[in-house]
Amino acid sequence: MSTFMFAVLSGIIYFLATQRLGYGLTNLMGQPVTLGFILGALLGDPINGLIIGGSINLIYLGVVFTGGNAPSDSALATCIAVPVALQLGLDADTAVTVAVPFGILGAFVDQIRRTSNLIWLHKADKFAELGDEQGIYRCAMLYPTIVAFFIRFIPVFCFNLFGADAVQAILNYLPDFVTTGLSVAGGILPAIGFAIIIMSIGRKELLPYYFMGFFAIKYLGVGTMACAVFGLCIAMVIYFAGNKKGETHNG
Amino acid sequence: MAERLLSKKEVNQAHLLWWLAAETNNSYERLQAPSFCSAVAKNLKKIYGDDTEGYKDALKRHLEFYNTEGTIGAVVVGIVLAMEEEKVKGHLTGDVITGIKLGLMGPIAGIGDTLIWGMIKSILMGIACNFALQGSPIALVFPPLFSILIFVVGRYTCRLGYDLGSEAVPKLLQSGTMNKLITAASILGLFMMGALSASYVTVTTPLSWTIESTGAVISIQSYLDQILPGMLQLAAVFGVYWYFTHKGQNYIKLVLLILVISIVAAFFGILG
Repeated sequence: MSTFMFAVLSGIIYFLATQRLGYGLTNLMGQPVTLGFILGALLGDPINGLIIGGSINLIYLGVVFTGGNAPSDSALATCIAVPVALQLGLDADTAVTVAVPFGILGAFVDQIRRTSNLIWLHKADKFAELGDEQGIYRCAMLYPTIVAFFIRFIPVFCFNLFGADAVQAILNYLPDFVTTGLSVAGGILPAIGFAIIIMSIGRKELLPYYFMGFFAIKYLGVGTMACAVFGLCIAMVIYFAGNKKGETHNG
Repeated sequence: MAERLLSKKEVNQAHLLWWLAAETNNSYERLQAPSFCSAVAKNLKKIYGDDTEGYKDALKRHLEFYNTEGTIGAVVVGIVLAMEEEKVKGHLTGDVITGIKLGLMGPIAGIGDTLIWGMIKSILMGIACNFALQGSPIALVFPPLFSILIFVVGRYTCRLGYDLGSEAVPKLLQSGTMNKLITAASILGLFMMGALSASYVTVTTPLSWTIESTGAVISIQSYLDQILPGMLQLAAVFGVYWYFTHKGQNYIKLVLLILVISIVAAFFGILG
C-alpha cells in the first residue's frame, strides 16, 4: 500500500474511532487494541499492531471522560504511534512514549470539536422555536459529525504522510541514554492507568484486594486470566454474603 | 399507574435516539442539551398532540443545559417522558421537570462514570490488553462486548425510567443492590488491576557491582526481589497514585515528570 493511501485510510480510521454517534460505540473502534490491529493489518503486520496497541491501551485504561472532558485521546496516540513503530521497527515501550505526546494533543483536537459544536447548538435553538424536530436531529447528529470528520481526518492524514521520517530523524539524533530513558518511561507509564483506577474506585479499605491480585502473579505465578477468574469468584462471594445479611454492604 | 401514552416501541426509540446522539453535539455551553432534546423530541410531539405552543416550549425546555453519563443516564430520558405526560394532564409544571432533570444528572453521572466507565470498562479492557500483549486476537472481542453492554443496560434503564417515572431513581439507588454491585465490581476491579500491574508495569534497576576478591556480581534487583518481588512496580503505581491525590490530577504534568525522571535515571544508570 502506498504511503498516500495509508495516510488517507488512517485518517478515516481515526475519524471512525472518535466520531461520537452511538454512545459507547466509539469503543468498538476507538480502543488502542482494536486500532492497533486494524492499522497493523493495513501495514501487513496485524499481530505486532495488536501488541503495540495493547501497550498503548494500558496507559489509558482508567481514563474516564468526566463531564465529557477528554483528558487525553488514546485513539490519536494509537493512530500515530502504531504506524510509526511498525515502519521504524520500534519496540512496544518506545512506541508508548511516542504515543504519549499525541494523546495529549488529541485532547486539544477534541476541544476544537466541542467549540465548533456551539454553532449547531444555536441553530438548534432556532429549530426549537419553529417546533421542527427534524432540524434538531440534524443539529444534534448530522452537522457535528460532518465537521468532526474534517477535524479528525486532517491531522492524522498529514502526520502519516510525512511523520515517520521526522520521528526517525529525531530518534537518530537522540543520545543513547535518552532512548533508554524513553523506553524506561514506556514501562512506567502504564502505572498511570492503574493508579487512576485505584483512585477512581476510591475505597481504601478494599486495597488488600489489589495486593492479592498483585502478589498472586508475583508469588504464585498464575496467569492474568486465572486471576480474573479468582477475582470474579471473590467478588461474587462478597456480593452474595452482602445479600444474605439483608443489608447494604459497605465494605 | 394510569393509562400510558407511549408504547414500548416508542420508549425504545427515545433510547435509540439518546444512544445515537448523546455525545455528538457535546459543546462547552450546554453540553448534552441538543442530544437530550433529540431523544425526546418525537415523543414530545405525540404527547403534546395539537398543542403546538406547548410542544415548542417543551423542545426549548430540553435544549437547556444538561450533562450526564449516557448509559445509566438513559433513565432520565424515560423519567422525563413520563413527567411530560403528567404535565399535559396538568399535574405538574415545566419547572418541576427541569428541576428533577438537573437534580438527577449529577448523581446519575457519578454512578455511571464509576460503575460503567471506571470499573466495567477497565476490567474488560484490562483483560483485552492482556490478550493483546500476548499477540492474541481474542483481545478484539472485548471492545464490542462493552458497546453492546452499554446499549442493553441503557435500553433497560430508559424503560425503567418511563415505567416508574420519578420513582425509578430511588428504586435504582435505595434497594442497596447498586451499592453491593459497586462493591463487588470494585473488588474485582482492584484484584484485576493488581494482577495487571504486576505483569505490565515494568521497572527494574540494572545497578550492580562486582566484588573484586571473589568476582561475584551483586545485583540490587535480585536483592529487591528477595525482599518483596515487584517492589519498584508497586512504588511506580503508588507514586502515581500519591501524585494524583496530593498534587492534583494534572495528567500532562505527570507524564512529563515521568519522562524526565526516566531519562535522568537512565543517564545515571539507576533504571534501565
